Amino acid sequence: MDLPGPFPVGRYARTLRDELRKRARVQLIGEVTGLRHTRKQTYFELRDGDGAVPCTIWANELNELALPDGALRDGAEFVASGGPDYFVGSPTSSPGFSFRATDLRLAGEGDLLARLEALRKQLQAEGLFEPQKRLRRAPLPKAIGVVTAETGAARRDLLAGLRRRGWAGTVVWAFAPVQDRRAAPAIARAIRELAERPEVEAIVVARGGGSLADLWAFCDETLCRTVALLGVPVISAVGHERDSTLIDDVAAVACSTPTHAAEAAVPLDCEAARRDLRRCASALRRAGEGAVGARSRHLVSLARGPERALRRERVALNQKTREIRAASERTVGERRGFQRRIAGAVIARAARRAAGAEASGRRDALRRADVAFRAHDPERTLERGYALAEDGAGEPVTGAAAAIAAGRVRLRFADGSVGAEIEPEGEGDERAA
Amino acid sequence: MSEQPESYEAAVERLEQIIDRLDSGRAGLRETLDLCREGRELVVYCTAELDAVGEGLEELRLDELASKLESEAT
Repeated sequence: MDLPGPFPVGRYARTLRDELRKRARVQLIGEVTGLRHTRKQTYFELRDGDGAVPCTIWANELNELALPDGALRDGAEFVASGGPDYFVGSPTSSPGFSFRATDLRLAGEGDLLARLEALRKQLQAEGLFEPQKRLRRAPLPKAIGVVTAETGAARRDLLAGLRRRGWAGTVVWAFAPVQDRRAAPAIARAIRELAERPEVEAIVVARGGGSLADLWAFCDETLCRTVALLGVPVISAVGHERDSTLIDDVAAVACSTPTHAAEAAVPLDCEAARRDLRRCASALRRAGEGAVGARSRHLVSLARGPERALRRERVALNQKTREIRAASERTVGERRGFQRRIAGAVIARAARRAAGAEASGRRDALRRADVAFRAHDPERTLERGYALAEDGAGEPVTGAAAAIAAGRVRLRFADGSVGAEIEPEGEGDERAA
Repeated sequence: MSEQPESYEAAVERLEQIIDRLDSGRAGLRETLDLCREGRELVVYCTAELDAVGEGLEELRLDELASKLESEAT
């Protein structure tokens, strides 16, 4: 080996110490843990999600800082100013590295916001804001997990919000501290355990308002990574309107109050949904009854169609029949009148001829002639059931030969006429012969 | 029910489609009767889902939930 040395270790330790002391003085921010006081010095670690540095401050320097009583404690966020140092050890004590602080102050809102911003950018760059927002949220979860403090308004407000929603399923409480250095790991564990229950369909993480330092547990990197990669949607309701913690960024939904968280956990307004269902059920009943009812009425109306048409035709037919009968009776009447007029003229002429002879004898003879004439009135004969055969010109056909010659005759009965074909050599004749 | 809806939202969405179709008056008799039957089944499903979270809010602690489920299992 061509390495330099070997050097005496004590000299090397001092050289190392001197080199470290040359490094720039800086400020570190982190959570105080492992706080321990000795007569001469105070020891602690400053820690965050990525790592830790052991720190020391001389007791007299710490006293001069006049920090409020109890301010320097485990779990508190502090800013330490100083630089790296190396204690070379002594015959009675071990050597060791530390960040020698010359000033300590409680981390202010600005310090925390700067840290929060850095962490937010980092998680966002890793795409951890998205996975929760892509999860499906059940509109009507049967069980909701809730991580919150066992005592506090958040619990009561959340229950009131759920009841207002008309939701009355199962709430599974996982109580956890929400404000000290134990809070973040306890909340992360509670969330993981709730997510392992298959019946839990949404998890609400709720806490009332406070300073950013009070809410700092909800900016914990490990907790936020746990939430981001969880398979169950997480609804954060931490702090109030203006408070913004990192869990709000990674959660599926961030709400400003526990009441809003209740609405996010049960997206469906159960009361409104019940009303909508009743409306749907009525619409379906109406549609079903209406469809059958309207069509039945239509069918009945269609079935009555042929009957109506028949009745209409029957009425029209009766009307025609009446018209035909009336026309026929008119014709017969006219003919009868004509014949009576002719008969009257003949009688009048005969009366006039007889007027020159003995009037009374002639009147008697005339009356007899009138009676005889009436007896021969063809209409009277027809009324008794006889028929008068007429040729096409309306002249009487008075013999078989004339009928054969005419070929076709009209037979006039008292109530009307019919046409008749004449058969020249009828079977009746043959039988008669 | 012929087929269980995928979810409450899916059931409600289908129900709205059915009502729209019926309201349009363009469905024939057979379709109307089929839609009414399907709609009634969906209403029954949704009502059951609502009833499942309407019988009284129950509060459990996480450890109680675990022991309750274990006792139900045995």
